[in-house]
Amino acid sequence: MTTAPASTPVVTWPREEPPPAGVVMLARAEWPASAGDELPSIPGFILSSFSPLVVEVARRCLSLYFGAAPADPVRGERTAVVLASSTGDIATATAIAAAVDEGRRVQPLLFFQSNPNASVGYLTARWGLAGPVVCTLTGGDAMSDARHCATLLIEGGDADAALIILADQARDPAQRDHGAALLIGPRSWPAAAGGLDFPAG
Amino acid sequence: MASLRRGTPGPGTASGPQQVVITGMSAVSAAGRGLDVVRGSVLSGTPAFSGVARFGTGRCRTDVAAQLPGEPDLAGELAQVIETAWAGAALSNGHRAGCPLLLALHSSPVAARDPGTRQVTGGTAATVAGCTGLRPVPRTYMTACVAASTAVIDAATMIVTGHASRVVVAAGFLVDADSFALFDAGRALAGDGQVRPFSAGRQGLLLGDGLAAVVLESAAAAASRDAPVAAALAGWGRSGDAYHVCRPRPDGSGLARAVEAALARAQADRAEVSYVNANGAGTQYADSSEAAALHASLGPYAALTPVSSTKSVHGHALEASGLLELVITVLALQAGRLPVNAGYLAPDEECELDLVLGPGREPRGRYALSLNAAFGGANTALLVEAA
Repeated sequence: MTTAPASTPVVTWPREEPPPAGVVMLARAEWPASAGDELPSIPGFILSSFSPLVVEVARRCLSLYFGAAPADPVRGERTAVVLASSTGDIATATAIAAAVDEGRRVQPLLFFQSNPNASVGYLTARWGLAGPVVCTLTGGDAMSDARHCATLLIEGGDADAALIILADQARDPAQRDHGAALLIGPRSWPAAAGGLDFPAG
Repeated sequence: MASLRRGTPGPGTASGPQQVVITGMSAVSAAGRGLDVVRGSVLSGTPAFSGVARFGTGRCRTDVAAQLPGEPDLAGELAQVIETAWAGAALSNGHRAGCPLLLALHSSPVAARDPGTRQVTGGTAATVAGCTGLRPVPRTYMTACVAASTAVIDAATMIVTGHASRVVVAAGFLVDADSFALFDAGRALAGDGQVRPFSAGRQGLLLGDGLAAVVLESAAAAASRDAPVAAALAGWGRSGDAYHVCRPRPDGSGLARAVEAALARAQADRAEVSYVNANGAGTQYADSSEAAALHASLGPYAALTPVSSTKSVHGHALEASGLLELVITVLALQAGRLPVNAGYLAPDEECELDLVLGPGREPRGRYALSLNAAFGGANTALLVEAA
């Protein structure tokens, strides 16, 4: 496998795109971060890298801002999660189709992991993020579309902050999966421990 | 986790030009195509479950689902429900290009078998947008059983925040071999061939074909063209459980926050809710959690508010559920009669609700709730107000 261009951050909020009023970037992370970066497995999730990618890139981002899990209850309760992908979980869908076509029983664990909500449920339970959950598949720029979804959540009053996750599985064996995460929230929230506090826009 | 704060109402008011109204809608279930047949099935409480003929079920523990005859085409069916809703809203073709289309879909079994597709829905959204001439939003909602209701909430938010004056939301699920095998593997399907929400002896859910489309507009936009108004979307709320990969929080507090947010946005009192179209999948733990959510959010009125789950009639349409059930909730308010909670056997002490157990009951107020809950603890509540 080749190395993804981890040095080129795709997770950002473009200046030409107006963010929700009073909202700033609080933290961001990407996967892979280096050539040797590996995804930790998650108990109960099998065969596919999609959910481990979601959980790991979210962990890296949330850790930068909240430190160790869980988030504090006040901020966690008002933090939504938007998971966007331009591929979806191809590996799980393919595994299910293969089992059906070959007349085998589908592995029970695939029942819940077949939907992206499951990985979000895994991370929200650990981090105490109790805002709304939105999972989308995007034909175009998944991160751009995810920013729109997060804007609607905040402008609509459904959340104060949003963890935006991009998770794409490799479309070619020569490529690696790619994940990115961006935490945005109110300017009034405390700045990140590492000094990360990017003004949006 | 500490006790959760109550929902915070956002923009949007219960009345006035910024109110969101439904001006067109259509629905398809296993009962048939069109509002009349869908309404008739739920008001009479006639389940549409039968043996699966669309694909083999030999390796599965059950062989029952609610299906349309034959092998309908998802993109074609979606285009048709959108056209029907569009016509019902009395909109001209000139309105199409500027009107965003939001879609909620399940993974495509065709795409899963096509290594060239490289995307789990296989481009259905682009096909449907191309057929209808609506402005495609490059996004398909896949938030499991709250996908369609999430799309409705985003559409309503686009309207109240001024990003759009009119949005079409459509959703569709057709039972396929992959989904059936998956739910069978998860032991989620009712072995007795019936969905029995909130009832003692309930054994699980059954899948069902479902498609729906709605045209949402600002009240001002609808009024400016003297559009027919089916109902108002008076409030909405969404929340997360922060609890489990696939199980809901047992005390229902996550879903309760969504209900409270919907009521707060509409400035409605919980005593004014005349009907709840519950998520009511028919599973043991989810139904009891939802009953707890209703008691937490409606308080003493939970025992007095009629509740049914129309999944007992049309089955679980997965990503399309929230929209099919929203349309049915509007149909019930329009008809002045409540859908039946079919399949009921006996009371369950963990689900002490005023279930609609026979046809003919009438709503006693102007508001109705349509609730949905999904894997990952995602919850939505849509509050409908009679026109």
